[in-house]
Amino acid sequence: MLGFIATRIGYLIPVLIAVTLLTFLIASLLPGDLAHAMLGDQATPEAVEALRRDMGLDQPLWWRYLNWLVGIVQGDFGRSFRTGEPVLGAILARLPVSLELMLLAEVTALAISIPLAIHCAAHSGGPFDRVVTGIAFAKLSIPNFMAAILLIYLFAVELRWLPATGYVPFAEDGLGNVRAMVLPALTLALAEWPVLMRVLRSDMIAVLQEDYITMARAKGLKSRRILFVHALKPSSLTLITVAGINIGRLIGGAVIVESVFALPGIGRLLLGAIYTRDFMILQGVVLFVAAGFVIVNFLVDMLYAVLDPRIRHAHR
Amino acid sequence: MSRAVRFGVMLTGILMLALPLLGSGAAQAQKRGGSLTVGLELDIAGFDPLKVGVFDTSANMAAALLFDTLTSLDDKGEAQPKLALSWSHAEDYKTWTFKLRPGVKFHDGTVFDAQAVKFNIDRQKDPKNKCRCAFYIAFLKEVQAPDPLTAIFVLTDPSVNLPKIMAFASSNNVVQSPAAMQGRGDDYNRNPVGTGPFVLKSWTAGDRMVLEKNPNYWNEGRPYLDRVVLRPLPDSQARFASLEAGESDLIWDDEFDSDNILKAKKTPSLSVHQHVGSGASVYAINTKAPPFDDVRVRRALVMALDRPKWSQVLTNGLSRPATNPYGEGSWVKCKDDGALPFDLAKAQALLKDYGKPVKFKMLVTATPRGRANGQVLQQFWKLAGAEMEIEQVDQTAIVTRAFARQFELTPWRIVDLADPDPQMYANFRTGSPVALANYSNPELDRLLDHARVTADPEKRSEDYCAISRLINSEAIWFWGFQNTYYAIAKAKVKGLPKLHNGVIDVSPTWLE
Repeated sequence: MLGFIATRIGYLIPVLIAVTLLTFLIASLLPGDLAHAMLGDQATPEAVEALRRDMGLDQPLWWRYLNWLVGIVQGDFGRSFRTGEPVLGAILARLPVSLELMLLAEVTALAISIPLAIHCAAHSGGPFDRVVTGIAFAKLSIPNFMAAILLIYLFAVELRWLPATGYVPFAEDGLGNVRAMVLPALTLALAEWPVLMRVLRSDMIAVLQEDYITMARAKGLKSRRILFVHALKPSSLTLITVAGINIGRLIGGAVIVESVFALPGIGRLLLGAIYTRDFMILQGVVLFVAAGFVIVNFLVDMLYAVLDPRIRHAHR
Repeated sequence: MSRAVRFGVMLTGILMLALPLLGSGAAQAQKRGGSLTVGLELDIAGFDPLKVGVFDTSANMAAALLFDTLTSLDDKGEAQPKLALSWSHAEDYKTWTFKLRPGVKFHDGTVFDAQAVKFNIDRQKDPKNKCRCAFYIAFLKEVQAPDPLTAIFVLTDPSVNLPKIMAFASSNNVVQSPAAMQGRGDDYNRNPVGTGPFVLKSWTAGDRMVLEKNPNYWNEGRPYLDRVVLRPLPDSQARFASLEAGESDLIWDDEFDSDNILKAKKTPSLSVHQHVGSGASVYAINTKAPPFDDVRVRRALVMALDRPKWSQVLTNGLSRPATNPYGEGSWVKCKDDGALPFDLAKAQALLKDYGKPVKFKMLVTATPRGRANGQVLQQFWKLAGAEMEIEQVDQTAIVTRAFARQFELTPWRIVDLADPDPQMYANFRTGSPVALANYSNPELDRLLDHARVTADPEKRSEDYCAISRLINSEAIWFWGFQNTYYAIAKAKVKGLPKLHNGVIDVSPTWLE
């Protein structure tokens, strides 16, 4: 098992380096000049040139990349070009909001999708199965921003049960925090559950046709026990992979959902940085998100090994 | 109702009756107290000019609460005293002397005086500080402070309307506490200290800024509100929903959100505040680039524009077409601005007369709005017989291309300034780096030079109208839509002043 973890960590390092390089290139090669964005449309070319020099934008790309990388290794993500705020500080201040949002969304999505998937698989082809897969397909075609606005109009404007926008820190008001998070998390979960449900459902239908399930049935085990104990664990490998990869989608969704619900998370930070060409913040957030994505998928690999002994023994 | 309260109400009633007799002119009783929540568009980056350079609209709105400027604008657009009590100018309009209000203190208890005014400007202009804000006060040579209550502004170029220009709560104009800026260093940016009617109480980045009434405000009795909460709500639909759900009392909006503005106009519990500024979205034609070296082609393009239809497509007809560079909000009013009429047949005839096929590229901002706008223009010109190709570029790339004159036709903007001179001179005087049309005309130069040193508004107006006629006739620039600003508020929000420069200044408001 240790050997398996060591190999996986070995893979992780080149991936993370590639991530920094790509992040840097994307941010640097974006169209639009930061100096122009900062000076506004009445600036003279000389003023723009001077500002570029001050910010080091006239240095060669590889030199700027190396400088940035050395800083990151030392835990220094640099400072925002626009506000002078340390990038790491800005990210860490907003991270809890996004983590809470994504965690709640993922848990909600799983809570919706697992029972539905099991029920559909157990009665596949039945009316319940058909209706649920139909709904899942329809939901897949509704974009996040649209679902968010519909939820706001229903629960905040019409029914007035929940706030339309805003964020309350948990430490300040626990209930207020949950109330503020319900609609954003639900928006993301609504986009997420159909994917998870469909994956688990089809895997489970396959597993339910395995011999050992027939064996379990023949032994007279209760249907519930067969589904939740004997069938769920082997069926959930793809589910976990998809849930891991979906973290990427979730982060993408968070950018939109945080803007609609005005949550002060890293998605908003990223969007603001794009609008204002604040490369330092932009690079920092993208790197942070990409690294988080890579690490989550590393953990997913670890989970495989826990779920499936064949994987952890293969690496001996 | 207790006896004391009833007495209070009665007393208020009597006072209300008496007030007009006293000549105060207060038609409505301003109610005190309460909290106002405002939905803005963007996060505020901070207030230190050295850090943020130029305030954006959201920062301007907060700045109007935290800080004061030397002057203010009334609803007619005239300069009124604020931190300055009075002002006078030298014959050549190159020196302005401001007499300052005595007894004003910053929120940190330090004294506001001419040294503070000078300190703010010096700090912005100091080449060592490399402030992006310095560019906008390049016309200002220096500020002198001969005594604590006299600030003398010495200019490089004449400025007839300096007091009006200085009313805008921009990063250049607001007076911030020198002690706080020096003492707090890097932290000052997010801990601003001014003399304004509200004091910063708390600020959570990306979520809300809470401002509380300044109990020691120099304007006694003001402000009426106890508290203002500013919230960045980037999504226009969600911003409007927050107003409908009662979470916000007032929101910023723009005409691209026309559905909600039209809906709010029909809702009795909401009121729509609208202000047409002095600027506009405009287009510059590079007269050195064929086929635009021929005036017939330029005129044809302008005459092919069906502005009402254009407005209908983009904003449900909310956008107000502009026919000259001054806008309804400007004091320049022209009986005849020389605008070319919409006349498709004439446009077609002009292009036919030109003889050669007309093909060109237009720069378009790579945003959904930019693209939509480009496509509308493309269709208009196609009808006239000209072929326009859309070249999508980033907003900032437009600036680079425009400066380098690497364009045939580019969108541009005239911002709202209380005086047309700075922008008109920069945009059209021969030799200016932003005279984008590459066009030189001695008569135009003469008019521009004359207008900037003439004091009489009537005569200046005549100059500017002559300039407009010349530009329209030569069709070197053309005008899209006027800058129009919107705020949607609950009907109970009273006393909102005009949205000069698009800034929603809630400092004089009260809740009914």
